[in-house]
Amino acid sequence: MNRWRLTSIGCALCVTATLLLAPPLLAAATPIDIQSSTILRFFQRDTLNKTDDNVAPVYEYLQIDTGHANNKGLSFHFYGWGRTDLADGDYYQDNSTAELLYGYLEYTRPFSNLNLRLGRQQVVAGIANDSIDGLSLFSDLGPNFSLSAYGGLPVALSSQQGRSGDHIYGGRFSHHLGSRYDLGLSYQQLSNDGDKEDQQWGIDTAFALPGGVNFSGRSSYNLESDGWGEHFYELQARLGDFSLRPFFEKYDYRDYFASGTKTPNPFAILTQSNEGLTAYGTDILWNKLANWDIGAKIKHFAYRVNDDTATYYAGFLTWHGKELTQVGGELGTMQGDAVKNNYLLSRLFFYWDRPGERQGSFISGDLLYALYDEDIYGEDSSFFASLGAGQRFLKDRLELKLSGDYSVDPNFDSDVRGMLTMNYRFGL
Amino acid sequence: MPVRFFIALLITVVTLSVLYACSSSNYFPAQHPSDAGLSRTRPICVDCHEARSDKLAFADFNHTPTFATTHRSIASRSAQVCNLCHQQSFCSDCHATDIELKPSLKNQSDTFRGMPHRGDYQSRHRIDGRVDPTSCYRCHGNPKTAQTCRPCHG
Repeated sequence: MNRWRLTSIGCALCVTATLLLAPPLLAAATPIDIQSSTILRFFQRDTLNKTDDNVAPVYEYLQIDTGHANNKGLSFHFYGWGRTDLADGDYYQDNSTAELLYGYLEYTRPFSNLNLRLGRQQVVAGIANDSIDGLSLFSDLGPNFSLSAYGGLPVALSSQQGRSGDHIYGGRFSHHLGSRYDLGLSYQQLSNDGDKEDQQWGIDTAFALPGGVNFSGRSSYNLESDGWGEHFYELQARLGDFSLRPFFEKYDYRDYFASGTKTPNPFAILTQSNEGLTAYGTDILWNKLANWDIGAKIKHFAYRVNDDTATYYAGFLTWHGKELTQVGGELGTMQGDAVKNNYLLSRLFFYWDRPGERQGSFISGDLLYALYDEDIYGEDSSFFASLGAGQRFLKDRLELKLSGDYSVDPNFDSDVRGMLTMNYRFGL
Repeated sequence: MPVRFFIALLITVVTLSVLYACSSSNYFPAQHPSDAGLSRTRPICVDCHEARSDKLAFADFNHTPTFATTHRSIASRSAQVCNLCHQQSFCSDCHATDIELKPSLKNQSDTFRGMPHRGDYQSRHRIDGRVDPTSCYRCHGNPKTAQTCRPCHG
């Protein structure tokens, strides 16, 4: 399908949607909410031409939302960023300088779940989690069925030989009985320059079992390579003061990493390996103490071709104070047959909300230390420290945040970075 | 081509009409009530709601300490529930095609958020990537999101 045709269909869909939804469009004056986030960073890097070259990027993240947040109807949403390097070096010479993350017109029918979006948007439906330039719709079909459908140009392939001949479409159809049961079937097809790159269907499910136990999961089938790529299933249960989440995952690399030309390395190489990964484990939380998060995680990995295993064990502990105040830490280790995969990871952090009862302020800190069983570039550890502080002004419309980071690791002997963030919220 | 175009247009009109007519009245509100003060705490839905109503399993949406890494399954089935509290930009800071600043860097001082890739992940990713490359692929599996991979991996 060529670009002209897609554009024509897109315009037709827009006109059709407008005609169908004309009455709700005649809404009263629409409020506009603008959020600006300006970020100045400073650090030094070695580039192709210089050593310890200064890099001082300034980012502007701009978000615009129109429409009544508390009411359904017609609205417009925009979010994007741009960047310039005040140091005028060549560190970013291969990167894009701006990106539209989304920009779409949305209509949600009052007193229903009908939702239409037209423009650049993120689609999440079954096996889909993709950015598209196109149309998406979601609606319940009566009390027991729901439908999601979408189509347009895939943003992910916009950098691959233009956009002519690119398209993505798919959807999810589900049957549900209230919150007791949900069974969904989803499909997606992706083409690049007129060639079909990826075609998958998926099944997802959620069941409420007796005893407050929930079972959920998903599987995906790659129609191009003709094989199951992923199975992921989990249980969520509560046993007294403990919450458990045992899970099982199984992947076939040939079928999971879509094997078209769009697949970047290192994943494209892995499709040739015939490798398969099976992982299982559980999270466990102890909910006895109201102001504490106490838990552990364990995840075991086993490989079909390599025939070895690895297991990640971790425990974490966090104390919660007023509002967002927290102090916590995590200690984890990866242990397996291959020494090069073994490491110890520790983290300590704090977030002090309103220190000294000063409204709108915070101080935060973060420490990470990793110890590797096998050296990486001749080093066996990484150390990272970060300290930040912030203050909100003008009835919380303006927020200033300053943070500094320091790290010593296999990639940097001694790296210092600074960041100043100014968030401003205009409400019109 | 005009025939195909009008067939596509007809299908679209019919589909939208059917959806408009069939859309259920068992609806979610546009937004979670703002007076719940959710932005200043980590939301545990069952603090106010029952674990499972006829309409929604609220317990599934509890933002437990591991929710940042386990929300994939529930979000893929119930994105409209996420939208009750989160603007799209909240999700796009991680799930978008070209964000340049990794989430833990853009929100460096928000240490209470369980964001991935904190600290020196450049060193650690070579191990995590060997152990479970599927976890990398979910976010870096297309040409645009793999820009950060290209300098080393080609």
